[in-house]
Amino acid sequence: MQDVHTIGKYADFAVGDIRTFAEACGVTLSVTLLSLLIGTVIGIIFGLIRCSKNKLIRFLPLIIMEPLRNSPLVVQLFLVYYGLPVMAGILLKDYTAAIITLSLNTAAFFGVLVHNSILAIPVSQWEAGYALGHGKFSTFINVIARQALRLLIPQAITLYIGQLQCSSIVSLISLRDITRVGQLLSVRTMRPFAVWGIVFGLYYLVSFPLARLADYLAKRIDYTY
Amino acid sequence: MAMIEVKNVTKQFGDLTVLDNFSVDFDHSGVTVLIGPSGTGKSTLLRCINGLEKIDEGDILVDGLSVNNKKNLKQIRKTCGMVFQQTVIFPHMNVLDNLTMSPIKLLRMSKAEAEDKARYYLDKVGLASKEKSRHNELSGGEQQRIAIARALMMSPEALLLDEITSALDPEMTREVLNILVNLAKEGVCMLCVTHEMSFAKEVASRILFMEGGKLVCDVSKDDFFGSVREENERINKFLSFIGE
Amino acid sequence: MKLNYRFLKNPQYIALLKEGALNTLIITFFCLIFGFLLGLIFALMRQSKVKIFRIIGAFWVDFLRNTPFLVQIFFFYYGLPVLGIQTSPVITSIIALSINISAVNCEAIRAGLMAVKKDYFDCAYALGFDKIQTIRYVVLPISLRVAFKPLVNNFINLILTTSTCFSITVVDLMGASKIINGRVDRPFEIYMMLLVMYFCLLTLISIISKAIDKRIAIKL
Ligand SMILES: Nc1ncnc2c1ncn2[C@@H]1O[C@H](COP(=O)(O)OP(=O)(O)OP(=O)(O)O)[C@@H](O)[C@H]1O
Ligand SMILES: [Mg+2]
Repeated sequence: MQDVHTIGKYADFAVGDIRTFAEACGVTLSVTLLSLLIGTVIGIIFGLIRCSKNKLIRFLPLIIMEPLRNSPLVVQLFLVYYGLPVMAGILLKDYTAAIITLSLNTAAFFGVLVHNSILAIPVSQWEAGYALGHGKFSTFINVIARQALRLLIPQAITLYIGQLQCSSIVSLISLRDITRVGQLLSVRTMRPFAVWGIVFGLYYLVSFPLARLADYLAKRIDYTY
Repeated sequence: MAMIEVKNVTKQFGDLTVLDNFSVDFDHSGVTVLIGPSGTGKSTLLRCINGLEKIDEGDILVDGLSVNNKKNLKQIRKTCGMVFQQTVIFPHMNVLDNLTMSPIKLLRMSKAEAEDKARYYLDKVGLASKEKSRHNELSGGEQQRIAIARALMMSPEALLLDEITSALDPEMTREVLNILVNLAKEGVCMLCVTHEMSFAKEVASRILFMEGGKLVCDVSKDDFFGSVREENERINKFLSFIGE
Repeated sequence: MKLNYRFLKNPQYIALLKEGALNTLIITFFCLIFGFLLGLIFALMRQSKVKIFRIIGAFWVDFLRNTPFLVQIFFFYYGLPVLGIQTSPVITSIIALSINISAVNCEAIRAGLMAVKKDYFDCAYALGFDKIQTIRYVVLPISLRVAFKPLVNNFINLILTTSTCFSITVVDLMGASKIINGRVDRPFEIYMMLLVMYFCLLTLISIISKAIDKRIAIKL
């Protein structure tokens, strides 16, 4: 493990480690947030295309979404980070590869959520919109999208929490996120329980409140139409 | 010996005394209708007879077997079939299997014999065509009729029926009551909690009125709708209240 | 650039891939069993009348769902030796992953148990079934049918997650691929092949499980 030497060998915690952790939090959060943002946008596009009336168009996003949903994220990451540069002749930085992979992966799952949320709105709601004189687009925006959004938000938060945790796999391409730093420090200090305790705590601190929020929002939804 | 002997039973839920030193006997014959205001312990009485609720004091004997002895419960429940207001048709099997499950598993009846018997009772409740249906493909009335057939599969000596029509609309109520009337005419012994007075007038032989965990009156049908109603202010009021 | 799968002709690499597949299978198999049993135990704890059990169950689920699996497996990998427990990476993986998926299994099983309302017990008891018979003939068949779909989802996730076990030196499919790539340096071909393999396997499982679910599904 080469990185170990760059931090120092077999030494107890030092003040500098706080900074290392802070930087690692920055990496984890920026990778997660950026890829969630991009993934959400692409996911919405996927989801809307999935709602198309045309069978062929409706099928197209699945070509991307299904492999992404049904293969390990690590494999996807390695394919992008190690495979793509060889294939396409472009060099990708670890950070860029991480963002690309996580964004696409998020998009695939988000697309399904968007699609399902829209499908969950009964046809009668569309008809109600038309009856009020709205066009198709206007009905979608004013009637359907609003209700679909209420169904979508708690599920989206749950997905985001999952993706935050998935972001830890970027440590496997040596990106210095929280997990990677935890690994390095736990080897260096030989105090795994203290180090992993901190790492658990950091993830939990972000994740748990969001999970509670998702539960709360999910309970508030009135599923009866 | 009466078939069901309820002897000085007291049943409490926490501080609430639902049955208060309650005693009553039921014979092997006829239809007994149990009425009374909501929350007076009618359901609780039936559930105690069937061993679904533990009693705090007293004893209930069904064919001489005490409900206080856990070992008797199986036999007691075989003697007294029970149908609830919130009956469920088991969702993981079709109607026929719902009917045949208990005789096959509990009485070791052969599958063929159980199915013959099930078809006989399904025919009796007018649902011969539904044997392959699932619970969600049946109306509320149909579910209750199947529940009656399911209870009859164990060849009980009596049926305990707890407001089995009160969640149904008038038409479905009629369907179910017609079945009960036919069964009564065939001599099936029943103890029903119901607010369907037309039904009571048609088939009941005996009427019990209870309130506050106590038996207020225990008379024949004719007396109940005749002299008792005229003399007892409370019962008259109750009957008017439920639209009689 | 052209795709080059010549390395697949080398029996050494095929043997490596076979070993990887076997390890993936072993880990999946044991985690499936232990993960289910642990999930069942914690589901029962969360439904228990004893408050402390409910609290422990809730914390277990919350903690595991709000921390990354990779951190959990590193915790065991670096932590167990400090406690003086020496195990193989495969066993460490089985421990960590079983515990990890027990949380989601717990929630799936709990949903199944909660689907069986008191009315079902009443009806079964009134028909003469005792408690054990009621559980065997009514409660379990209904619960497992309700829990089937989420449990299959968890199973699929389990298979996906086994691929991170290579991070603690397990030679599973992913680990084997990484080793092969180190020797032949054909990352695109190798990881693409792996992706397709997982995709086909999981799609197959999805299709089969959907067919099963269609047959056993119940509308409550
Ligand atoms: N499991 C229980 N725990 C606590 N209280 C209960 C329970 N079951 C019934 N009770 C209470 O016991 C009282 C009698 O209930 P019961 O269901 O026997 O009344 P009922 O005469 O059948 O009324 P209804 O006509 O509304 O069905 C009610 O006040 C009820 O709230
Ligand atoms: Mg009642």
